[in-house]
Amino acid sequence: MQEQLEDPAREIRRLERCINDLVSLLALPAIWSGSEPGQIVPMLLDGLLRMLRLDFVYALLNGPAAPEPMDILRVADSCDVKLTPDEIGLRLKEWWFGCDNKVSFPVGRTRFGQEDISLAPVPLGIQGEIGVILAGSGRIDFPLQTESLLLGVAANQASIGLREAMLLVEQKRIADELDRRVAERTAELASANAELSRSEERWRSVFENSAVGVALTDLNGRFLATNPVYQKMLGYSEQELRQLSFLDVTAEESRVSNRMLVEELLSGKHRQFQIEKQYKRKNGGLVWVRNNVSIVTGGEREPRFLMALSEDITQRKQSEEALAKARSELARVAGMTSLGVLTASIAHEVNQPLSGIITNASTCLRMLSADPPNVDGARETAHRTIRDGNRAANVITRLRTLYSKKEPSVESMDLNEAAREVTALSLSELQTGGVILRWELADDLPPVTADRVQLQQVILNLLRNAADAMSTIDDRLRELLIRTERDEENHVRLSVRDSGVGFTGQTGEKIFDPFYTTKTDGMGIGLSISRSIIEAHQGRIWATPNDGAGCTFSFAIPCRPDDAESQVDGPDSITDAA
Amino acid sequence: MGPPNAGTGSERPLLSVVDDDESVRESLPDLLREFGFAARAFSSAEEFLSSNCLGETRCLILDIAMPGMTGPELYQELRRRGHEMPIIFITGQRDETMRARLLKQATAGFLLKPFSDGALLDAIKMALQAA
Repeated sequence: MQEQLEDPAREIRRLERCINDLVSLLALPAIWSGSEPGQIVPMLLDGLLRMLRLDFVYALLNGPAAPEPMDILRVADSCDVKLTPDEIGLRLKEWWFGCDNKVSFPVGRTRFGQEDISLAPVPLGIQGEIGVILAGSGRIDFPLQTESLLLGVAANQASIGLREAMLLVEQKRIADELDRRVAERTAELASANAELSRSEERWRSVFENSAVGVALTDLNGRFLATNPVYQKMLGYSEQELRQLSFLDVTAEESRVSNRMLVEELLSGKHRQFQIEKQYKRKNGGLVWVRNNVSIVTGGEREPRFLMALSEDITQRKQSEEALAKARSELARVAGMTSLGVLTASIAHEVNQPLSGIITNASTCLRMLSADPPNVDGARETAHRTIRDGNRAANVITRLRTLYSKKEPSVESMDLNEAAREVTALSLSELQTGGVILRWELADDLPPVTADRVQLQQVILNLLRNAADAMSTIDDRLRELLIRTERDEENHVRLSVRDSGVGFTGQTGEKIFDPFYTTKTDGMGIGLSISRSIIEAHQGRIWATPNDGAGCTFSFAIPCRPDDAESQVDGPDSITDAA
Repeated sequence: MGPPNAGTGSERPLLSVVDDDESVRESLPDLLREFGFAARAFSSAEEFLSSNCLGETRCLILDIAMPGMTGPELYQELRRRGHEMPIIFITGQRDETMRARLLKQATAGFLLKPFSDGALLDAIKMALQAA
């Protein structure tokens, strides 16, 4: 269309208006910032409608510009033509999208209803991929150059704005998706953590409540974690142990071999080792332990560490040591109680002086029958005879004192230790008999002044009787319980409880009588002698049937013989050592 | 061979007694002298071995149970050194197995304390005759 240049002033005003409109258009993206596509396009169309005094303006947006393809129509109030978006859309399709050449857009005049409308389509996006704006005006000269320019710029701005809006929409969509995924993942982690917590709790419980001591150390032996049993065994707290290494708490003599074993472990030569050694407790005391040490691979992130399972074997060691000591004691005890050996020992002691007497007397007679009689010699032999006779008398007195029950050789002793010693001797016998041994030794048992060997004879007697009582049992466990406790004031009590055949009412009275026995090969003097021994200690010995099977033999003696003003009354028992 | 005359001064056979018991060491040599022998007493096997009487001793009267070297051990040692004198064991302990064993080893006699002078003299006579 050619412009008319007859009226320059009018032309200038027209150009001024055009420039103002351009400036407005250029300001639009700033206004649009943050808006959605659905808000941008109507705003633009309203602007265009006004600026160009159009009859209508239509926009079609494709997928990239809007969540869904949409079309918007703005009709001027002054326009008489009834228009619908669909109608225009159809026209657009047949006319615009039918062209091969999409880059340059043909301008056309077409009939809408009763009116002829000049149409100017403007593509949005470089190749119209965003959509298209269609401006319609009744004027024949539409669009002028300036109007085309404005439409082009408007389309450009619209593209920019729409693109930005779409980016925001996409961003929001992605953000929402991210939120959703994070929430999902968080829930997963929470669930996994809960599971881990439960598992961790379980293992923690195992660690804390294990029956043996557990200690974890790093590869240098420094304590990482210990359980209560271990801490108690050594007398240190968890924090104190963390400052120490296991060699610090090991007795010196075991350190070298201990270190060597650990080195073998670290070098991979072995996967675990056992060691029996002594720990040094915080208070300086020693405790025998048996340790099982292994190397633990920590997993991908954790370094390796050492784990020691530690069992207190002090009791066993004490028993072992006591066994060796007690063996010789028993030999002596057995020697003393065996009548045959007793007799031989007495006989030997007495024979020496007797022999001297007979020899000297024989010599005396010969000297007196010599010719002349050797009176001096005879006198000498007579003297020796008398002296030897006195010697023999002394031996007998001494032996009587030694073996007399009236005067035991007393010392201050620990009843627990004595019981352990004598039990250690019978251990293999008991084990062969399938007997399960249990201990309930009082920690606070006071020392007692007594004849150690004699009390051990009594305990041995009770143990043997208990084992015999259980020897025919095969429908229940053969359990033997040895129990010590303080009794009343200043008495100590030891009980031996078995799960054997027990005894009936009448038997109970007689068992302490001499020579009473239910055994075919027993001498029946055991309990009678035991009673004598205990009574010599101013104590009492008695037997009670158990609630369950078997019976319990007990004796109680005063800690100091002179302190026994109040005789211990035995419990309500069927039998009472009178 | 019977006991020679006590007062002639001619050679009396030497009998040695080894016993840790003092009353034996006191009483036995006198009895042996009444029998007509010369006698010497020693308190231990070691004392006897370190004495100069080994060659002279015609018969050894030996206690079995002694601290240090026992009677049977002394017997072994003497035989090892080539001394073949007869040995009469005396002991206060009745032990049949030991008695049987020792008699099998050709000791001359085995007497239980207390023994009569007659029994001792018989044993000595038998020992010296066998020698």
